[in-house]
Amino acid sequence: MTDVGPALRHRDDAEGRETLATIERTWQSPKGFFGWFTHVNHTNIGRRFVATALIFFAIAGVLGLLMRWQLSAPLNEVLDPDTYNQVMTVHGTAMMFLFAIPAMEGIAIYLVPLMIGARDMAFPRLNAFGYYVYLIGGVIFLLSLPLGIAPAAGWFNYVPLSNKEFSPGLGVDIWTTMITFIEVAALTAAVELIVTIFKLRAPGMSLNRMPIFVWAVLVMSFMILFAMPSVIVASAMLMMDRLVDTQFFVAEAGGSPLLWQHLFWFFGHPEVYIIFVPALGIVTSVVVTFAQRPVFGYTALVLALVSVGMVSFGLWVHHMYTTGLPFMGRSFFMAASAMISIPSGVQIFCWIMTLWGARIRFEVPMLWVLSFFAVFITGGLTGVMVASVPFDRQVHDTYFVVAHFHYVLVGGAVFPLMAGLYYWYPKAVGRMLSDRMGKWSVGLSFVGFNLAFFPMHQLGLEGMPRRIYTYLPEMDWGFLNQLATVGAIILAVGFGLTFWNLIYSAYRGTVADENPWNAPTLEWATTSPPLNCNFAQQPVVQDDRPLWSWPERGKRTVVGGLRTDRRETMVTTLLDARPQSVQVLPGPTPWPFVSAVAASVGFLGLIFSPWFYLIGFFGAFVTFVFWFWPRKPYRED
Amino acid sequence: MTKDIPVEVAVDASDITRFAPHTHPLWWGILAAVAIEAAVVANLLTSYFYLWARTDAWPPEGVEPPPLLWPTLILVVLPLSSVTMWWAGKGSDAGRMRQLALGVSASVLLACVAIGFRSIQIAQFDILWSDHAYGSILWAITGFHYTHVVSAIVGTAAVAILAWMGYFTPERQLGVVVDTLYWYFVAGVYLPIYLVLYWAPRLL
Repeated sequence: MTDVGPALRHRDDAEGRETLATIERTWQSPKGFFGWFTHVNHTNIGRRFVATALIFFAIAGVLGLLMRWQLSAPLNEVLDPDTYNQVMTVHGTAMMFLFAIPAMEGIAIYLVPLMIGARDMAFPRLNAFGYYVYLIGGVIFLLSLPLGIAPAAGWFNYVPLSNKEFSPGLGVDIWTTMITFIEVAALTAAVELIVTIFKLRAPGMSLNRMPIFVWAVLVMSFMILFAMPSVIVASAMLMMDRLVDTQFFVAEAGGSPLLWQHLFWFFGHPEVYIIFVPALGIVTSVVVTFAQRPVFGYTALVLALVSVGMVSFGLWVHHMYTTGLPFMGRSFFMAASAMISIPSGVQIFCWIMTLWGARIRFEVPMLWVLSFFAVFITGGLTGVMVASVPFDRQVHDTYFVVAHFHYVLVGGAVFPLMAGLYYWYPKAVGRMLSDRMGKWSVGLSFVGFNLAFFPMHQLGLEGMPRRIYTYLPEMDWGFLNQLATVGAIILAVGFGLTFWNLIYSAYRGTVADENPWNAPTLEWATTSPPLNCNFAQQPVVQDDRPLWSWPERGKRTVVGGLRTDRRETMVTTLLDARPQSVQVLPGPTPWPFVSAVAASVGFLGLIFSPWFYLIGFFGAFVTFVFWFWPRKPYRED
Repeated sequence: MTKDIPVEVAVDASDITRFAPHTHPLWWGILAAVAIEAAVVANLLTSYFYLWARTDAWPPEGVEPPPLLWPTLILVVLPLSSVTMWWAGKGSDAGRMRQLALGVSASVLLACVAIGFRSIQIAQFDILWSDHAYGSILWAITGFHYTHVVSAIVGTAAVAILAWMGYFTPERQLGVVVDTLYWYFVAGVYLPIYLVLYWAPRLL
């Protein structure tokens, strides 16, 4: 039976149930410990990404608390200077590379196929490969801290501090190899997401009917594609400077330390938007659902997302105002930095218009979004301040900057991420998160966050420098620092409550039905948690809010005729999503894991000997051949 | 509830092709991979000029730009290997599988020749990567492209083996199509590298 159209028309009769059972068997992931290493379904991989990222978030958060503990009083002796530097470096690096990007990517990997009505992503095995790379790289990186060999040169590893002379030991080597390695996972996810969004959308979902979240993920993925290569090039150069004596950043031999800063920030600035843009997508989804009306200014919002993505590549130099750049260059980047507030403003106004006069349901996800508005707009305002050269040169390298970027990063990415967790948890787990714990969590996090980071503005204006492990009592910074530490503890309790909620509600939460929030997008058109195949029949859509318009039309349109005995999903044209072909997707396989292990051996070995370049290259190649080699019987149709 | 709404089959997929090597998502995936690699090359070449702009003498005193003979020969061999690759693809589109096998094998051989020339040329560099930033970036860009040619060779060798085994058909030839796309990139990206490494220090 290849034609499942008529059979599934009534899912509840015997034939329909049997057909669905066959599809589900086809899409099932193997059970057991060894089965775990063969999973390729995007729902499994996406869940793993998010869970792993949250664990890394908790670890990096504890490191943040350690720093706050050390700074809570002048001349405190909780951490010695070197440990403090390691803790600070690992905190920043882990938050950026091990938490923020992978968490956003994980949510995207989980949701995008569901939102566009596909059965899986375009390259399921590559997805799995990316996850193992991320897991192995992240664990090795974090292990360096308890071993006392963690990098200590700050998350942006400025040369010459990070070169061999001033940072001996393995720390910076672990940073360069493992971060480059983890970027590979970010890049595979980006490629995967772009192609999935371009080619696997359900029939009828032309580009102008895509949910805003999917647009945001598309913009994020393109940004990753063009930003990550420069940090890879930079860290490869640093790696070679340290390991095989190249002279890229050594001024005495024709190198340039500033080259590092340019390459790093050409990545580093878009990076901020890489985690912020998908957060905008989450916010839009939540605003639309809890206002119960279509988004205001769809086209303006999409254009704003795209222009944020583009403009963010022209701002990197505002991290380098104090490096002695030409006046003309500084002015240009000052104007560009101020310009990004235009598309950001468009977004905020679109959300306000969507909410204006609507009967807003103040559920937990919406509360997180409202705290996002407050915190992020504050961060945006200080952003406009530090974008201007004269002001920036006053507060550069002070706690004012620390306050600013925590406001934009935590406010702009973590709060929306929390909104997303509360919003989509019922879909992924099949149970609702506890409302009461959620409300306490929002409240405590909001109060704790502002208490922790608002005083830092004042500390910065009073001249307290960043990256110091302690300060003298005569500076009078004790009280504000104490306040910040208390705030940090409250913030940790707030986030901790959500962590507990995530675990508790998986067992005790109220059972969620298909669409508990009455949302308009396709991820809510399947069971909670989704079927192995996502959709018993792939949907066909006529507009950008199918779940609201199907009841009005009185019928739901689907794809029929996909085979039940192998993994098939529709391929459609890029612009209009007209049916083009059917892609046959691969099933469970252990080779992505083996490839990831081979690649890890190569990367980790580089720290000890350049020969591992060859070992990693050919090791990975051999596993790729096993991965891609066609298995008999060859497919005939 | 969505599931209670009556269903209508609006698209019947039973007759839609399962083979579409020229519009397959993997084709787009390789294109994205090429975009990443191109961004890496752009970063490397920009770094080359940035380092140059911040140095007095480029190449440093007493160092000559690399000789032109071998790189120029590679500039002939790599496009030639792309032609054989294209010819192989023509063959497999038309069902002439022998032409496919011959074509990809010829490309592998030509690329091996290119690698041979490249190795001779590297041996002729009169500066080491550890002597000066000029040497570092020269070796890094050269090594980067060398690695890419080698990975194109080993990947295409696997395709050639499959071709001689008779695996491919005009429908079942996704491997050929995407390998060709990557091959064009590896051959094509040599042109900017060639101009920057061998002509820029002579002309600018």
